[in-house]
Amino acid sequence: MEDIKIEDKKLGFWYSEWGFIVFVMALASGIFGGTHLYYTYHVGAFNDLAVVALLEAGLKGGGFGAAAAFGGAFLFARVIEGPLVGILDIGGSLQTGVGIGIPALMLGAGFTAPLESFPLALLTGAILGAIIGAVIISIRKFTVDKIDSTFGADIMMGAGNAAGRYLGPLIVISAVMASIPVGLGAIIGAAVFYAYKKPIAGGAILGAMLMGVFFPIQ
Amino acid sequence: MTIVIILKSIIIGALVGFGVGAGAARMFHAPTVQAMGAFRTLGELNACQGDPISHFSFGLGFLFNSWATVIGAGALTQDVEHRIIPNWATALLLTKNRNVKETLHDPKKMAVAGAIVGVILIPLLNSTAAAVPQSLQNVATKVLVPAANWLINPVMPIIFWLAALDAGKRTGIWGTILGGLAHLIMGNAVPGIVLGILIGKGVDDSGWNKITKTLVTTVILLFVLSGFFRGFDVALLKSMNIGIPQWLINLHKFFGMVVK
Repeated sequence: MEDIKIEDKKLGFWYSEWGFIVFVMALASGIFGGTHLYYTYHVGAFNDLAVVALLEAGLKGGGFGAAAAFGGAFLFARVIEGPLVGILDIGGSLQTGVGIGIPALMLGAGFTAPLESFPLALLTGAILGAIIGAVIISIRKFTVDKIDSTFGADIMMGAGNAAGRYLGPLIVISAVMASIPVGLGAIIGAAVFYAYKKPIAGGAILGAMLMGVFFPIQ
Repeated sequence: MTIVIILKSIIIGALVGFGVGAGAARMFHAPTVQAMGAFRTLGELNACQGDPISHFSFGLGFLFNSWATVIGAGALTQDVEHRIIPNWATALLLTKNRNVKETLHDPKKMAVAGAIVGVILIPLLNSTAAAVPQSLQNVATKVLVPAANWLINPVMPIIFWLAALDAGKRTGIWGTILGGLAHLIMGNAVPGIVLGILIGKGVDDSGWNKITKTLVTTVILLFVLSGFFRGFDVALLKSMNIGIPQWLINLHKFFGMVVK
């Protein structure tokens, strides 16, 4: 909380370009802090299950290449797209890029200190945020009004959203293959969530866990 | 341990909420003002604009999903920043003043409201997740990890690949080549396909100019470097039964990699 300075009463700051850099710093710092929590306590990573699983695969010894490449490419794409469309996508750039890709890159290189220490994690995130914010503002200065392409951002967003929809059915299938009671729990949970217009992935997980309490998987 | 998680989560929640709130309010002034958030967040905020109950219940709907995933696998989901914080911050402001121009569109008020929501929400989610017994987490891991692995490979590569093919001949060709190479070199096709779409659409919309040429050069460099550092060159030569030249072994050794 001490990082927040709200005494600045000037209207200018909140709409300014350097204000943007400050906001990116705060958010990136918090997200990197979240990855620190995940690294140390296995909780609190600011991303979807599928993306966090990439990092987890690396932590379990499966190599950080996939996470680093996936996060890095998303960061790259979003930083180019952000200034062109006027909205930086925080999901791809900060949550996946700064939260998963860069930590994977660091861990892959054996550089664990920024993830082990909380203050260092916040600082690392803030520095990364400052760099990203500054790059976006400078791209904006040089290219805006000169080019009218979104570089296929709409296509990628469409594909990204479509991918998320697959997770629900995949969880039910996985639960069914784990054990019969857990599978039944996942099916019922998914159906109930669907009936109440909620994403079925959440219902499937809760249903599977509930049945897992009474009928543990060997 | 739980106390430490709560304290750290309070700081993280404040930072994240502050940034998300300000970024979301600035979206209503984009593209003249550089904002951050997501197009879907903007659309959803517009969809329930002006009604605090709608904003609150929209966020609540996603809370359960985030809660389930954080308990199961420690992942908060992107919805916390895309949906819950922006909508709850808006709901908080709207209970006092129904005028969206003075609330939702004001970066300063949204930053403060976002930080308040973050300070409460993040510790709540993280501490309850940490308190869940180990046996329950085991069930979740056994179910979730295979599902997530299938999603990463092959579901996501296929979805992105098909999207690239459907978006036109140029994105299709670039997506196929870079996607295939990325799967070989990086282990997953998605980053390659994303870059292929970026190049294909960039050239479709604006031709071969300085920006698109720089983009292609950077992408080629990215592939060459990640191929080298992951030892793809050595693996390629080995699988073709070609001897590895001593200079290449020395070059890898120089960067700290031992070639067997």
